[in-house]
Amino acid sequence: MIGNYIILAWRVLKRRRFFSFISLFGISFTLGIFMVILSFLQSELGDNKPLSNKDDLVFVSHIGLSKPYHDTITIIDTVFLEGVEVYDTTYDIKSEGRSMTNSPFNSSLILEYFSDLPPVERYSLFNPQETFNVYVNGVKLSIDATFTDHNYLQIFDYKILEGRRLSEVDIQEANPVMVISTKTAMNYFGTQSGLLGREIELEKQTYKIIGVFEHKARFIPYFSPDVIIPYTLQNLNEQYSYYFGKHFIIFDKESSATTQEVKNAIVTASDRIPLDHPDNRNNFETIEMRLMTFNEIFATGIYYHKDPAKGYRIVKWIIFGILLFFILLPTLNLINLNVSRIMERSSEIGVRKAFGANRGNIIFQFITENIVQTLIGGIMGLGLALLIIKILNDSGWLGNAGLTLYPKFFWYSFLATLFFGILSGLIPALKMSSLHIVKALKERTI
Amino acid sequence: MIELDKVSKVYTTKTIETTALNDISLNVAKGEFLSIMGPSGCGKSTLLNIMGLLDAPSNGQVKIDGQNISNYLGKPMAKFRNEKLGFIFQSFHLIADLSVIDNVEVPLLYRKISGKERKEMASRALDAVGLSNRKKHFPSQLSGGQKQRVAIARAIVGEPKIILADEPTGNLDSVMGDEVLDILKYLNEKEDTTIVMVTHDERMASKTDRLIRLYDGSQVA
Repeated sequence: MIGNYIILAWRVLKRRRFFSFISLFGISFTLGIFMVILSFLQSELGDNKPLSNKDDLVFVSHIGLSKPYHDTITIIDTVFLEGVEVYDTTYDIKSEGRSMTNSPFNSSLILEYFSDLPPVERYSLFNPQETFNVYVNGVKLSIDATFTDHNYLQIFDYKILEGRRLSEVDIQEANPVMVISTKTAMNYFGTQSGLLGREIELEKQTYKIIGVFEHKARFIPYFSPDVIIPYTLQNLNEQYSYYFGKHFIIFDKESSATTQEVKNAIVTASDRIPLDHPDNRNNFETIEMRLMTFNEIFATGIYYHKDPAKGYRIVKWIIFGILLFFILLPTLNLINLNVSRIMERSSEIGVRKAFGANRGNIIFQFITENIVQTLIGGIMGLGLALLIIKILNDSGWLGNAGLTLYPKFFWYSFLATLFFGILSGLIPALKMSSLHIVKALKERTI
Repeated sequence: MIELDKVSKVYTTKTIETTALNDISLNVAKGEFLSIMGPSGCGKSTLLNIMGLLDAPSNGQVKIDGQNISNYLGKPMAKFRNEKLGFIFQSFHLIADLSVIDNVEVPLLYRKISGKERKEMASRALDAVGLSNRKKHFPSQLSGGQKQRVAIARAIVGEPKIILADEPTGNLDSVMGDEVLDILKYLNEKEDTTIVMVTHDERMASKTDRLIRLYDGSQVA
């Protein structure tokens, strides 16, 4: 029976070409965009390299010092009438708030207070995106260096293609070495292999290459370094104050701990940081930090909320809503189209019912037809998504980020397509299956 | 085979009540070929629809093959129609997107029969109406007479005990009409199928076993 329905669906599609074009265009366009959005989310939020264990990480970029402030502004209002002061009054506007200053961390502060938190397996301090301009054969090349420790490439699991990561010894002895990305290798040397032992000079300092890692672009800044260098090569004496410096921290939790426990441990550790240090010239009273998981970093980029976890939940719902809207709008349109299309076939429904089809048979038939139609649209949508992704990647509009269509999206989209097909077929099918046979047969046909 | 006992049908709208059938009592014997005549709007088709369980009477009882079908609804009703009844319509009502053989197969889709067996049964039905060489054609490629023969094949493919034909020759010229009636006669005589046919054509009616006439919803002869 189902075979007959599928053949019928194909013939109906072929016969009503204009209608088929409109429906297939709607379905394929929607699913195409749906897949592109999913791949974007996956490339940013998925647990793919170098963030395979992103859900274990807690990130903090800035330490803030704050205190409350109370201000009173007094306004004196005076009115002159023919040169004579006739009325005056004063208003007091009181305002209250918090005065705050913040900056990345001083590396010594990190070592002293955050290097040994119980729920943390390892942490890394890093100073991202120090940009150096170098000239290769007369062409300017910008290199984003990340100054960091030996744990950075453990936490971010970039694939090492050649050589090794930074070692603890490299950090302790401040060895002038670097691990470079394939992208930089290509731009600088024109090749990605055989580079171990070769050198790159950045601002009069020469670094020996000890490893090459596979470049992975991401839309979130900070996590796409071109080269990785021991942070101990930076002039750490020139940090801004006891509190402030240039470094961010990333914590990788113990497998048994939760990220919330890590966040709590960081807050507890920060309570031990003294506020009576001479560098706290403005007598700030409180230490504040924005502790975020990776999903929360992404969400903050879209919508800032004081509580990053809450912000992430809101963004998640917003994205879910947008995706749902994307699917629902054309579905409603398709329902409308399908109702009129199926109406034209009321004589067929009458005949089928006269010859023994029950409501379930009719509903099943039209849903099958719709699923066939949406699956064809789904395949076209996949092609469209691949095309859009190729155009986006080739154009470089997304900056560093590169999109990939992962196989699992095909299955997500397949499910979305089924949802689409069933929903857009169900309502017209329900409506038409309850049609009275005699009325349905009054439609003239062949 | 078909027993109608004081069957009435009243259509009610907000402002008007129309009596389409008025107290009709009628017995159609097994193997009988009955024709129903009467002017347009006299209730012929309504009567046929009630016999075919396509419409419910407002009053009265309908028994088919000894079963009181007044209580049948939904699935049992659909199953009963599928197994006992075959329909032929004046305007053929073939499904344009299906080939001839697929059209004939339609009633069998709602039975538990394999695809292969369905095709065999449909082929036999098409043989019976002399259209075995048109299996792969589509309805739009057939003449009126051929379309009606496909419709007959569809009506008989499930081997129903009763065929209800609503002006089956109404859209055909006399030659084609005779062909169609000959097939119906054959089914009636050789297969012992009970046939009820609505017609406007006295000549066609004269070829059947019995004729009843309706006027304004009542049986007058």
